[in-house]
Amino acid sequence: MAPGFKTAEPLEYHRSFLKENCRPDGRELGEFRTTTLNIGSISTANGSALVKIGNTTVICGIKGELTCPPSDAPNKGYIVPNVDLPPLCSSRFRPGPPSEQAQVASQFIADVIDSSNVIQKEDLCIEKGKLSWVLYCDIICLDYDGNLLDTCVVALLAALKNARLPEVTINKETDLAEVNTDKLHHLNVSKHPVSSSFSIFDNTIVIVDPTVEEETLSTAMMTVVTDEDDRLCMLHKPGGSALSGEKLQDCISRAVTRHREVSKLIEKVMDSFEPDK
Amino acid sequence: MAGLELLSDQGYRLDGRKPSELRKVQARMGVFTQADGSAYIEQGNTKALAVVYGPHEVRGSRSKALHDRAVINCQYSMATFSTAERKRRPHGDRKSSEMSLHLKQTFEAAVLTSLYPRSQIDIFVKILQSDGGNYSACVNAATLAVIDAGIPMRDYVCACSAGFVENTAVVDLCHAEESGGGTVMSLALLPRGGQVALVQMDARLHQDHLDALMEAAMTACRSLGQVLDGVVRQHLQEVSVLTAE
Repeated sequence: MAPGFKTAEPLEYHRSFLKENCRPDGRELGEFRTTTLNIGSISTANGSALVKIGNTTVICGIKGELTCPPSDAPNKGYIVPNVDLPPLCSSRFRPGPPSEQAQVASQFIADVIDSSNVIQKEDLCIEKGKLSWVLYCDIICLDYDGNLLDTCVVALLAALKNARLPEVTINKETDLAEVNTDKLHHLNVSKHPVSSSFSIFDNTIVIVDPTVEEETLSTAMMTVVTDEDDRLCMLHKPGGSALSGEKLQDCISRAVTRHREVSKLIEKVMDSFEPDK
Repeated sequence: MAGLELLSDQGYRLDGRKPSELRKVQARMGVFTQADGSAYIEQGNTKALAVVYGPHEVRGSRSKALHDRAVINCQYSMATFSTAERKRRPHGDRKSSEMSLHLKQTFEAAVLTSLYPRSQIDIFVKILQSDGGNYSACVNAATLAVIDAGIPMRDYVCACSAGFVENTAVVDLCHAEESGGGTVMSLALLPRGGQVALVQMDARLHQDHLDALMEAAMTACRSLGQVLDGVVRQHLQEVSVLTAE
């Protein structure tokens, strides 16, 4: 009876659970799904991370290339994020140019990088006006089960912490760059932004970490990004139903708690990671 | 020409393998929840993912539907970080289109498409890390994914690459061996009947050596077939334990 009801009346099905303050997969309204993290699996990339929040799986690969710094900021490098939602992650995505959702996600990640200062762009400059790094952060979703943005942010953060770039010096005589692949340095990750996504049901009930079914039935979505000093980096609420001020405060405090959980996880994984030479 | 010696005097290759030795294969089925069938395979350092959606109604133009069998739609793409140099165009370039077409032709030979008229089966393959043998890893991963989706096939489709170095046939080439300039042949085989689904070679090879090369590739494919069979059986065992009452 339950599977038939779920397909015929999905909204009523979810409402019947929300009335009891829980969700179809047994979670509480404020509970996140199990988060797993695996770093350094792609050896062709300078840094990589694979993150799963529930069933949503995202892999992030960082590749560094050398280029001239921008003319308006000769002491800075570039960080170029890109989120790819290929048709293999869900049947809702068709092959072709990046969908609107992928472009919005890419812009969101770019904004998180800028607003949270996760990497100082000045650190990416090798020689002012002549040579700097450009970090391509390619985030690919492999399995889409809701809450894409949180997973992307965790993957990006873990991959940046895992990334190691070779030492580059400029030969004074030939004026050419010399890359020393034997000496690898970690990136200086100054801030650790973590995002938490919420979805609003029926204009009143706020749930955390929606699955893809909950996302399609929700009336509004919201994402909060905080950093380790409990400061707000970003608040992203693209339209939808209105939210009262106190509910917003609740969401922000939940985001702060989530930050601590994710930071602990990332630290544990980074400590246990042994790079193979 | 000085440089990497693809085959040493003692008969060992760059990574210490013998000429007829395959790289270590690790595979898992049913890795993703959204897809009808999925599989992940690692052949040495080459990591490939395959995902199958279907059989479902033909998307897009109805005119593409075939009245007596299913349409197989394949898409091959590489992650931008999969190669040593960042790949700027992961899909849509000529190489990816050619690979997608080869995969489509390979699976049209193996899948029992006549059981699903007017429908479409999507096979998406993604290379996460490339170290030679991209086509073979894709075919092997796609075979496991199609089995995971429950779509009937004539037989496993196993693929392997083979090359000819210093009068010895070597199998399962890594990237350094593929780009070394020698002969590279890709072969996709249906092991039980010994039928070749696809063979592709673009390099010069004396026709006397062709038999030896084909034989080496077919033997390698058969061993791969046994490995894939083991993976499927183990997956079924795990699933039946989980779903047993």
